[in-house]
Amino acid sequence: MLPLSLMNTAKGRPIQVELKNGETYNGHLMQCDNFMNLTLREVIQTSADGEKFWRLSECYIRGNTVKYLQMPPEILDLVKEERFQHRSGRGGRGGQRGGRGRGGQRGTWGGRGLTLN
Amino acid sequence: MSEIQAYVNERVLVVTSDGRVIVGTLKGFDQVTNIVLADCQERIFSPDDGVEMAPLGLYFIRGDNIAVVGLVDQEQDSSLQFGALRAQPLPEILHGA
Repeated sequence: MLPLSLMNTAKGRPIQVELKNGETYNGHLMQCDNFMNLTLREVIQTSADGEKFWRLSECYIRGNTVKYLQMPPEILDLVKEERFQHRSGRGGRGGQRGGRGRGGQRGTWGGRGLTLN
Repeated sequence: MSEIQAYVNERVLVVTSDGRVIVGTLKGFDQVTNIVLADCQERIFSPDDGVEMAPLGLYFIRGDNIAVVGLVDQEQDSSLQFGALRAQPLPEILHGA
């Protein structure tokens, strides 16, 4: 299982993010990308010494500042379910990554060539 | 495939660059050593008290911060008396210091 697919599955769920500088952010994960850039909603920010707290309605975290994410354990099962759905829905293996998308497009082009001939 | 593939679904011990020691079941990894650990616990060493085990649950550690991933010998690990163990915590890793 790829770590980034776990992160995608965690969208909409509460997570805790610790940054390299020791600050932590607790909130609901709204968006994430392949750089691990994150947006969180309804956030509690905690200073590195654990003494100061801030409430933020929304925040953006640049991926390279992240040390780790802590997530609810049930997400692991959700990843497995999603993977299963992907497989039974479209067939083939390898998940939802770029390679297969490109393959599909090439197919369409091929089809058009045939009709012209 | 990288050697770490052999550790998937095994208990592993991860040392992070801030000096923490985290033990968990390796669930996944990628090219940059981002790592997913299930049923994690942090082992907090101190020179005065025994080793404190802090349960952490499901953890996703960014590869930047990972120093070591080691396979845990579970037999040997469970025979250790962590309550009686005294050790200095690891210092953080300093780059270019």
